[in-house]
Amino acid sequence: MARYALGRVGQALIVIWLAYTVVFLSVQLLPSDPVTIFLSADAAPDPAVVAAMQAQYGYDQPLIVQYLGQLAGLFVGDFGYALSAGQTVVERIGGVIGSTLELAGWAFVFAVVLSFVLVSVASLVKVRWVRAVLEALPPLFSSVPVFWVGLIALQVLSFQLGVMSIFPDGSFLSLTVPVVLLGAYVSAPIAQVLFKAIEQTYAQPFVDVLRAKGASETRIFFAHILKNSVAPAFTVMAMAVGALLAGSVITETVFSRSGLGQIVLQGVTAQDIPLVQGLVLITATAFVVFNLIVDLLHPLLDPRVLKAHPAAAGRTR
Amino acid sequence: MSKIITRSPGSRQRGAFTVGLVAIALTLSACGNGAQAQNPTTGPESAAASGEPVEGGHLVFADVVPAPRWQTQSATDYRQANVLNSVLDRLTYYDAETETLVPWIATDWSPNDDLTEWTFTIREGVTFSDGTPLDAEAVARNLQVFGEGITDAQIQPNQDYKNFVSAEVTGDDQVTVTLSEPNANFVRATSSVTSGLVAPSVFELDNAGQNDIAQVIGSGPFTFESQVPDQEIVFTAREDYAWAPETAENQGAPYLDGFTLRYLPEVGHRAGSVSTGQADLVRGIQPVDEATLEAAGHSVYAAAGTDLSSNHMAVRFENEEVSDARVRQALQIGTNREAIKQTVLSDSYQLSGSILNHGAPGFVDLSEDFAYDPERAKELLDEAGWTVGSDGIREKDGQRLELTVSASSNSVVIKPVFDLMVQQWAELGVKLTSRAGDNTFFLQAQTDETVPLYGTRAFSYGGLGPLYGSGGTLTLADDPEFDELVDRANAEADEDARNEILAEQQDYIVNEQAHAIVLWDEVQVYGAHSGTHVEFTTGAAPIFQGAWKEGE
Repeated sequence: MARYALGRVGQALIVIWLAYTVVFLSVQLLPSDPVTIFLSADAAPDPAVVAAMQAQYGYDQPLIVQYLGQLAGLFVGDFGYALSAGQTVVERIGGVIGSTLELAGWAFVFAVVLSFVLVSVASLVKVRWVRAVLEALPPLFSSVPVFWVGLIALQVLSFQLGVMSIFPDGSFLSLTVPVVLLGAYVSAPIAQVLFKAIEQTYAQPFVDVLRAKGASETRIFFAHILKNSVAPAFTVMAMAVGALLAGSVITETVFSRSGLGQIVLQGVTAQDIPLVQGLVLITATAFVVFNLIVDLLHPLLDPRVLKAHPAAAGRTR
Repeated sequence: MSKIITRSPGSRQRGAFTVGLVAIALTLSACGNGAQAQNPTTGPESAAASGEPVEGGHLVFADVVPAPRWQTQSATDYRQANVLNSVLDRLTYYDAETETLVPWIATDWSPNDDLTEWTFTIREGVTFSDGTPLDAEAVARNLQVFGEGITDAQIQPNQDYKNFVSAEVTGDDQVTVTLSEPNANFVRATSSVTSGLVAPSVFELDNAGQNDIAQVIGSGPFTFESQVPDQEIVFTAREDYAWAPETAENQGAPYLDGFTLRYLPEVGHRAGSVSTGQADLVRGIQPVDEATLEAAGHSVYAAAGTDLSSNHMAVRFENEEVSDARVRQALQIGTNREAIKQTVLSDSYQLSGSILNHGAPGFVDLSEDFAYDPERAKELLDEAGWTVGSDGIREKDGQRLELTVSASSNSVVIKPVFDLMVQQWAELGVKLTSRAGDNTFFLQAQTDETVPLYGTRAFSYGGLGPLYGSGGTLTLADDPEFDELVDRANAEADEDARNEILAEQQDYIVNEQAHAIVLWDEVQVYGAHSGTHVEFTTGAAPIFQGAWKEGE
């Protein structure tokens, strides 16, 4: 088990490093450069000032030196200076990440609760059409764009009914509405996978045995079916972190919220390499960590995973 | 909450106020095409009629998107200028009514005979919000930074301070700026928001510090109070403010207690925020929303950006496709501006008469010269050797007449205008690709001279030289012929003679060389909730110091 875990952690670190490197290289392919963009915002850039500034921030160094320098900086917590913001990357991101975490965190909780409630009710309800409606919801959630629903919601709640502020004002609704919209969107793949897994579990012979023993449908569902079906849903939840962060960017823009969304926009537009790198690092880390947790939980939920992984299985035997 | 002010302007001043408003109304209605849209309940006349400004209250101003940086010289766009106009004072102020520079922090100024030295007399008793004096030394230090930049803090010289040599204290309350070349227009640069004065201690900060709005210390009527990054910034009125521009109606502290800056990047939310009163003032109202707002009793203010160039496409004329002046002239007269106005603009927008706006110093109306004439445009393209190919797009030596234009996403009308021009130019046999709204491409196009067309309007406090001359920001090409026109104007002390040269400059850019395809006068359309009274600078910035809200 320990070796399985170590292997997973190692893989995770490699994924983060690769993401970082790929972004570093792809930013180099873009035309113009951060210093010229920074300076041309103020005035026609003076070539001498551009050169001096490139030297100041090390942009005049060979690529490999820049790359290694930045990488070394990471280990001492130096993520560089965000020229486009006039702040260090840590300050810039640190200043607003709380807002994104609040939105994404609650949306994630809502998404998980929503998908389990949806699936449970749909599985237990006897009325056919109710079940059909519930099953149709996740595809609907995933196909309706968040920004569109967001705009409509604001139009109705803020302008027509007047119950919600168009600006984030810390009120209950100003957090709840974006959380619900983002959460519903993120819940879709979780619920869909859960539906599929439950269908497959119901088809297994042991369910007939349980029924023959006289277990109630509710008991069969919660004690056996759900337990045997959650593993794939966990995997999707981890994947949903990506959708959650991407969705946060859109949701934040629509609801004029402070957060990583604005920074992504600003960093990419101004080709602010250190800022974009910092964001990539955070996103990749979040993604990888969640997947790692799920990977590590998997053997606990389903011991068969270890059988497919001889080294780890060998240790547990 | 709010009370009627007791130190309200006396009858004489109130008279001046009324006259001022009427003058504005006249100026605006004189713009032709009914350029100003005002509603009956909150229009200028009724504002005067409804009585004196009310003191107190807090105004919510929603701008388009957050500004990343707040260093004075970075205030080259509205996001910063709209706010810094109320936070930093300047030496001089351009008064829209009298169309002259009036005293602000400088009570007087004059050049030497050969226009290479400008001496400013500094007002007494002005303090920064941290209590330190805004005296001759502080002014000299500011001017020095504008002229030279600060290398260690990566702050570039201000582009309007070309040929700057030094700024020195030359008397108790006098500062003299020395230039290496004559510049009759130099003083105009001191009226720009990019010449906003900060406490000298700010210049000791690093780049990050100087760009942090919380650390910017000015002498203006409002000071920073708090912020949520990218979401809002709160400013508080300075109660001891007593040094407004000479012609300002309010000579004292702001009527408002403070104002909050918020953002509405989504254009569809702006009108609704005004009508529901969630924002008192919103920039960037779409033409389609103007009538709705007015019908509901709110105000639509078309704030003329006289300090800027008109909206236009700058032509990077070193690109092969547009290197022939006849091609550029064909684009100039092959553009149907009236159709643009009818289709996507509103009465708040006035079509261009030149590269300068109507009302700008030295403006000449050249609109007759570039009136819409598609037949002549086609002839010009034929003469230049561009013949219509099999698919209707012109070709020359195997090259197709395909042009790309870039523009920022922050203007509410530029994208639909360019989309319409794609159709108009197609009729001439020119394939125009509009990338308006693609901000990444826009930032690249700012310095990439291979992008042939650049859609913009630019502050022109330094005249047209910094925009269209050699080393300029728009055409990105050397133009010695235009430089000569700029130098001549700068060396001309007599205003009438200088205006004649300015007329030559405009003719050169618009007709002779067609380096700019001019479209419409710069204007920023604001929506204001009923009962909110605001006037605007010639830089289209709201003047919060004189703004007030009617009591509830």
